[in-house]
Amino acid sequence: MRACRLSARARHLWLALLVSLAPVPAAAQTLLAELSQREVAVTTGFAGAELIVFGTATGDAAGPGADIIVTLRGPNAPVVVRRKVRIAGIWLNGPSEQFEAAPSFYALASTRPVETILSAEERRRLRLGLASLPLSPRGKIEDPSFRQALIELKSGLRLYSEDPGGVRLVGDRLFSARLFLPPAVIPGPYRVEILLVRDGRVMATRDLPLTVVRSGTSAEIWRIAHDQPLAYGIAAVLLAAAAGWLGSVLFRR
Amino acid sequence: MLTPFSACSFRASAFDCTRSKGRGAAGELSQGMQVYLPIAEMSVDAFVVVGIGLAVGLLSGLFGVGGGFLMTPLLIFIDIPSSVAVATSANQTMGTSVSGLIAHWRRGNVDLRMGVVLTAGGLAGSALGVQAFALVRQLGQLDLVVAVFYVVVLGIVGGLMVAESVRAILRRRRQLRRRLHEHFWMHGLPLKVRFRQSRLYISVIPPALIGFGIGLLSAMMGVGGGFVLVPAMIYLIGMPTGVVIGTSLFQVVFVTAAVTVLQAVSTQSVDIVLSLLLMVGAVAGAQFGAALGSRLRGEETRGLLGLLVLAVAVELLVGLVRRPEALYSLGPLL
Repeated sequence: MRACRLSARARHLWLALLVSLAPVPAAAQTLLAELSQREVAVTTGFAGAELIVFGTATGDAAGPGADIIVTLRGPNAPVVVRRKVRIAGIWLNGPSEQFEAAPSFYALASTRPVETILSAEERRRLRLGLASLPLSPRGKIEDPSFRQALIELKSGLRLYSEDPGGVRLVGDRLFSARLFLPPAVIPGPYRVEILLVRDGRVMATRDLPLTVVRSGTSAEIWRIAHDQPLAYGIAAVLLAAAAGWLGSVLFRR
Repeated sequence: MLTPFSACSFRASAFDCTRSKGRGAAGELSQGMQVYLPIAEMSVDAFVVVGIGLAVGLLSGLFGVGGGFLMTPLLIFIDIPSSVAVATSANQTMGTSVSGLIAHWRRGNVDLRMGVVLTAGGLAGSALGVQAFALVRQLGQLDLVVAVFYVVVLGIVGGLMVAESVRAILRRRRQLRRRLHEHFWMHGLPLKVRFRQSRLYISVIPPALIGFGIGLLSAMMGVGGGFVLVPAMIYLIGMPTGVVIGTSLFQVVFVTAAVTVLQAVSTQSVDIVLSLLLMVGAVAGAQFGAALGSRLRGEETRGLLGLLVLAVAVELLVGLVRRPEALYSLGPLL
């Protein structure tokens, strides 16, 4: 697995070398990138993870004036956003909107604010940035306040973020970005996308997969709780009884 | 003890109380001892959770109740989703009650026959309660229903307890004694059974109904129900105080065990990691509480418990009535 990945990287580097040496046509752009890790394990001690995306851009479009945009997107997780209303003096959940295609996680980092890098039209086409995320609300009448609330709530949990200065350039061609995965991330396939932009046009892109997996004891516990709920419930009861009994033995005077 | 509620109260759903909004991943990684809860799908500081267990255990040892009515709101306060808080609290209450039950069983303070009648009613009540719980969750009104249940039940029970203990303290001053037996409509009901240890010959219908109500509360609120059951057994059934705590623990153990299994099957929201952490604190706390409790008089203890119950009820009521800081909340699509 690892050897295979390295060889793939080596092949890319080899290609890059070829490209930079040969008298290439102006269109040839190369964007090379790698992640600090390709797999994030959610273990019992999981308190979030930091992911570093790093790489280099070569070719005519790279260099001064070029921008890099990095996005990390998690699997979709349908959510309901509810608005509280006051009925008979009590605040309770009233109207709601369901978002079928809301990504569970979305982070964007760029060299400059993304609005200054790409036009609104282009961002919408590329589904880039929190303002352009397609969330597919189910309701017929589109109420933008629900969408706004969803983005705000998810941002508060650090599940959605936009960091306009998040991509650091080293020299002209090397870049790196730090993305934080909070403890609330859900397991599944994630995708990192890197874009090289110049003069409002995307010149090169690169996609990298990232997997978030439950691992160790917590993964086992979750699996049993969902696959064999009855056995899990009985185990929880026995465990509580054992703990209670142990307590009475320990503290018997 | 109660001040943390006001910061971000019970009205909050799982996502309302935003955690530390600041950036700085390093700070996030280094604080306390983070433990990932597999069912709640979030990490919490283990010391905070054990501390909550300890505090609730202390109070439960002091007052002889399970303390679930404090546990669920406290768990929700630290951002545990309501459904996980209720289901796990029932599981934890069971564990803590087992140690209490063993102690009372050894001293012969358990009326087994009464316990069985209460438990039978309790099982029926909890089966219905878990169904209602799942339905309400689907409708998106779980937070509201849990909060309303708390306000109503805690308000009534707290009020009655305070009133009773004030009356008891006054009565003590006047050197009056209560009659041993008070006869009222309840004694005319059929299906009479002799409860030898409680020295009672009464119909099984009232205890079964009381058990049913407690089972319902247990499923909806994640509580053992001791704080309702104990006064009900003393004032409604007329059991002698000596066997009340032991017998109520008997019922609480079986009903919370049933609620745990039912919740695990219907909502998959029992988090055993959370429950174990809470039990570590609660079992130890209960011992200190019991030692402390033996120095207080019964009426004063009940009065204090009543005040505590009332304070929680008032705090939750304020949370329902006050305009919430976050009008919107986020929930998974069920």
